[in-house]
Amino acid sequence: MQLRSVLGKSIHDQWRAVLAWSLFAAVLPGIYVALYPALGTGSMMGTMQQFIDQMPEAFKALFAATGLDMSTAEGFLNIELFGFVGPLMLLAIGIALGASATAAEEESGTADLLLANPIRRSRVVAEKAAAVVLWTAVVAAAVWVGVSLATLVFGVQLRLDHVAVALVSLALLGIAFGGVALLVGAILARRMAAIAIATMLAVVAYFVNTLAPLVTGMAGWRVVSPFYWYIGNDPLRHGLEPAHVLALVAMAGCCLVAAAVVWERRDIHG
Amino acid sequence: MSDPVIRTHGLTKHYGKSRGIVGLDLEVDPGEIFGYLGPNGAGKTTTIRLLLDLIRPTEGRAEVFGLDSHGGGLAIRHRVGYLPGELRLYGSVSALELFSYFGHLRHRFDPADTARIAEALDLDTTREIRTLSHGNRQKVGLVQALMGRPEIVILDEPTQGLDPFVQQTFYRLLDEVRADGRTVFMSSHVLPEIERTCDRVAIVREGRLLAVERVADLKARAMRRLELRFAAPLPAGSFADVGGVRDVVVDGSTVTCTVAGPVAALFRAASAFDLVDVVSSEPGLEEIFLAYYGDAGDAAA
Repeated sequence: MQLRSVLGKSIHDQWRAVLAWSLFAAVLPGIYVALYPALGTGSMMGTMQQFIDQMPEAFKALFAATGLDMSTAEGFLNIELFGFVGPLMLLAIGIALGASATAAEEESGTADLLLANPIRRSRVVAEKAAAVVLWTAVVAAAVWVGVSLATLVFGVQLRLDHVAVALVSLALLGIAFGGVALLVGAILARRMAAIAIATMLAVVAYFVNTLAPLVTGMAGWRVVSPFYWYIGNDPLRHGLEPAHVLALVAMAGCCLVAAAVVWERRDIHG
Repeated sequence: MSDPVIRTHGLTKHYGKSRGIVGLDLEVDPGEIFGYLGPNGAGKTTTIRLLLDLIRPTEGRAEVFGLDSHGGGLAIRHRVGYLPGELRLYGSVSALELFSYFGHLRHRFDPADTARIAEALDLDTTREIRTLSHGNRQKVGLVQALMGRPEIVILDEPTQGLDPFVQQTFYRLLDEVRADGRTVFMSSHVLPEIERTCDRVAIVREGRLLAVERVADLKARAMRRLELRFAAPLPAGSFADVGGVRDVVVDGSTVTCTVAGPVAALFRAASAFDLVDVVSSEPGLEEIFLAYYGDAGDAAA
């Protein structure tokens, strides 16, 4: 394969890892969907719903902020996939790749050689960010393929177009935190630090979204969380809310611009 | 005289509190091979990374082709080939893929020229770089710096890790660059290498420029330590009054001394006895600094 650009080089370096992660990301949600008929037709689901109904509000909130309804496939997926495992899978890929973007070049010492070429540092940041967007979208698409196949095989009633829309929202969440990791990496030139800080922020954002509504006087704070922009509107049932999409895109865009500016200005670690 | 290819004005770089380089004024003319000589830690790599806009000056400025190293960085790097001092390459690609990648980033990929240089250095370009030895990786670094006939080639310690045979090939490649009228700026901490390849040399120590010399002048004053071994013991005081010879020590049949400039006078005197063996050693850099620039060196330190 001929390498011609920073984006091409990123694809060359990362496709194997992304392929492996995509397989995982397709199989796991597929299993959830496959399990649904067994749960839904037996007495199991009724028991689970009873169990859920009896939970304290704070505990329910931890799992999903969109109401806990196990009686439909959508409700089931909202809890099992979009509430926790889905964000985990998409944040993992976004943050891992974002953190590597410029920090890995500096940590491995290849930045000197790369940047001695006639290419702007901001261009390098942009192409590396494009790879983050591309791969996060690929993993989200893999989830959709896994869910779709399982839906067909196990005869589950599920609007696949709605799943796709919800996955767009989820991919944007992964890209937004990928942007945070890329920015931290551009500032510190440390990959592990970028992963740690972006992950910490994601955890905080998760709890702000789920717990803020339960705390008196804190309910309004929910809107500062990217998790709220991702799922607050329940995209699986209601589609995308433009303002929320815009918020996630703006977060990613601001991180990208800030990363480019910071990296243009400072000394490269040699 | 045409304008210098590289020109620095009071170029200064501090890292936090530690010194990089201080007030460097340097001019490199087009078509010359310019040596940048100094012990490790003298600020050679700092200077080179400033020229390439990888780091930014604390004070002063650097110009390449008359363009500011930062403001005109992109235009400059279109015309530069660079070998870093601490070469780190991508492990997961072959040398050929690396050359293609950088060639396209430079918009001047010339597969034929690249293959020619790789062949001259006897480099297998198809193997993944992670599987290459240190010497072969250095060759990869040299090829990517020289490929596509850049107008100026900036090399930071280019021969480290190369065996002597490959070094000779490298010197021939430099001669090619010189024959094209292109410019080379190369750092080294080894004087003989600079003497072999360069037209002029700048000598740096502890971040400051000590001197810029024509290599021919340096050679004329070249100092070497000689050890002469004779078949029979010599009288004390032998060679003491031979021109250009200093620090003579006669120890039985062995004579050690220091010679500045040509050795002809010493050898004429030695031919009067039964000379068995001669060992010549180049003085270390520190000794050169002390011998040539003792006062300036102390002032800089």
